[in-house]
Amino acid sequence: MTRSKPMAIAIKDIREVFSSVSIYGPMIGVPLFFAVALPFLTVYVALHAAPSIASRIAITPIANVAKSQVDSLSFMYFFAINVLGPIFLTIPIFTASVIAADSFAGEKERKTSENLLAAPITNGELLLGKILASLIPTILLTLAVFGIYGATVNFLSIREFSTAVLPTPTWLMMLASAPLLALAAIAVVVFVSAHVRGIKEAQQISTLLVLPILLIPFISILGIANLDVAFFAYVIAALCIVDTVIFYISVKDFKKEKILY
Amino acid sequence: MKYAISINGIGKRFGNEYALKDISLELGKGITLILGPNGAGKSTLLRCMAGLYKPDEGRVKVLGKDPYSDAGIRKRISFMPDNYGLYDFLSVRDNILFFSRLYGVNDDTAISKAMETLKMLDADSYINTKVGQLSRGTKQKMLFCKALVNDPDVILLDEPTAFLDASSSAQVREALSDLAKAGKCVVFVTQRVDEATRFNSRICVIRNGRIIKDTDTRGLYNEVLSGITVSIRLARPIRQEIRSKLGKNVIIENGNIVKARIRDYRDINEVIERLIKNGAYIASVDYAEPMIEKLYAGDNDEE
Repeated sequence: MTRSKPMAIAIKDIREVFSSVSIYGPMIGVPLFFAVALPFLTVYVALHAAPSIASRIAITPIANVAKSQVDSLSFMYFFAINVLGPIFLTIPIFTASVIAADSFAGEKERKTSENLLAAPITNGELLLGKILASLIPTILLTLAVFGIYGATVNFLSIREFSTAVLPTPTWLMMLASAPLLALAAIAVVVFVSAHVRGIKEAQQISTLLVLPILLIPFISILGIANLDVAFFAYVIAALCIVDTVIFYISVKDFKKEKILY
Repeated sequence: MKYAISINGIGKRFGNEYALKDISLELGKGITLILGPNGAGKSTLLRCMAGLYKPDEGRVKVLGKDPYSDAGIRKRISFMPDNYGLYDFLSVRDNILFFSRLYGVNDDTAISKAMETLKMLDADSYINTKVGQLSRGTKQKMLFCKALVNDPDVILLDEPTAFLDASSSAQVREALSDLAKAGKCVVFVTQRVDEATRFNSRICVIRNGRIIKDTDTRGLYNEVLSGITVSIRLARPIRQEIRSKLGKNVIIENGNIVKARIRDYRDINEVIERLIKNGAYIASVDYAEPMIEKLYAGDNDEE
C-alpha cells in the first residue's frame, strides 16, 4: 500500500467538503457557537441558580476556594465536565458522519465513483484515503472546539471565581475518546454507504451513534455512574473493541461495486 | 501476448436478471467496436474489462491479469465512462492531477500530456475552469483527456463521442485510430451504427447480454445492409410521376424523401443512378435506422 494514493484521495475529499459552505458552514459553525455560548450560559446559571441546584446534586468539593463561592464553582465544574463535556463528544460523531457520508455515499450519488474505482488503487488505499478524509478534519475540529470551550470556561471561571476549572484528567480522557467515537461513526458510514443510495440516508443512520453519548449526562446526574478517569478509561476500552468489530464487518462487507450505483 | 483482453464465458447478474450471459471474446491490438442498443449489456461488459465489476461466471483477463482484483494492472488500462464522473468542484487541471497521482504519473508529465490532448480538441483554454461550469460536450473532452493521461495500453471508452460536435468527434476518432496503429487495444462502446461503421474495424454486436455478431465494418454491411428499406434524402423535391421510372422497390414518400427496399448494399447504387438520371440531387442516404432495427430487433440467426 502506498501513502501517496490514500493522501491524494483524502486531500481531494477534504477539498470537496470545504468547497461547499452548506456542508462545512453548519458543521463548523454550530459547534463553535456552542463552545462559546454554553460556558456563558453555565456561568450565568452557576451564579444565579447554582446553590439551590448544587445542593441537590452530589458534587465533588473544590479545594482552595472561598466558602461563599463553593456552590457556584462546584456547579460550574460539574456542569462543564459532566453535562457539557458529553454534549461536545457528539461533535466528532456528527462531523465524521457528515464528511464520511459525503465521501462514500457522495461518490455514489454524484456518479463519480467509476473513474475512481477504475484507477489503480487497492480497496485498502481507497478506504484509508476516505477514512483519513473524515478523521483529520474531525480531530482538528474537535480539538479546536474543546480548546475554545476550555478557554472560555476558564476565562469566565477565573473572572468570577479567580480559579481555572479546566483541564481536568476526566476532561482530557473525554477528549481522548473523541477520535475513537469519530472512527466508530466512519466505520458505520462505510458499512451503511454500501447499502444506501445517497448521502442523507448514510448520515441519518450513522448519527444514531450520538444517542448513547447523550445518555452520559443523565447517567451522571442520576448518580448511576461517576464520570471520572476510570469511567472514561472503560469507555475508551469499549470503543476500541466496538471500532475494531464495526471496522472488521465494514471492511469485510466492502465491495467496490457497492459504491458504484 | 497475443490478446490484450481475454474474456472467457463471463456472466454478470444484477439480482436475478442476467446483464451478460456466456460472453467469450479475445481482443487484440487495434480498435474493437461494441455495438448494441440501450440495455444490451455493453457498458456492463466494458466495466468488467475495466475491473469495476466482478463477473459472476467466467473470467476476464486484461494483459494477463484480473483487472478486478489486481490494482497494479489497472495502471495500464484507462476507462472513460459515459457519465463523465469528473469532480465538478475541482478545475480540469486539479481533476487531471488527482487522477494522474492515482496512476503514478508525474504532475508535469500529466499536465503536458493533458494540454496536448486538449489543444487537439480545441479545449485547452478550459484547463483552469471548474468542471461543473463546463458544457456536456466539453466535459466529455476533459474525460477523454483524462483517459489518455496515463499512456494506457488498453483504452476502454463508453460512448466517447456521444455529446461531441462533428469536428471534435472526428478528432477523437483520429486520435483513437493513431493509438490503435501504435499498438494499443482500444474498445469503443456505442449504440450508433453510423459511429461503429466509421472505423474499418472489428465490430461485436451485443443484444440481451449476448454477443450476437462478431464481424467487421464490411461484414456488417454485407450481412445487415440487405432486405431493408433505406431512405434517400433529396436536395430538391421530385415529382410523383417519375415513380414508375425508379423501379418497383422505390416509393416517393414526399418530394424530398425516397424509400427504397434493397436486396443488398449494391442496390443502393442502382437506385441512386436512376434517381440522378431522372433529375434528382442526392443529399444523403440514411441506412442507419433500418440497419439498427434489423440488427437489434430481427436477426437472431447467430444466437
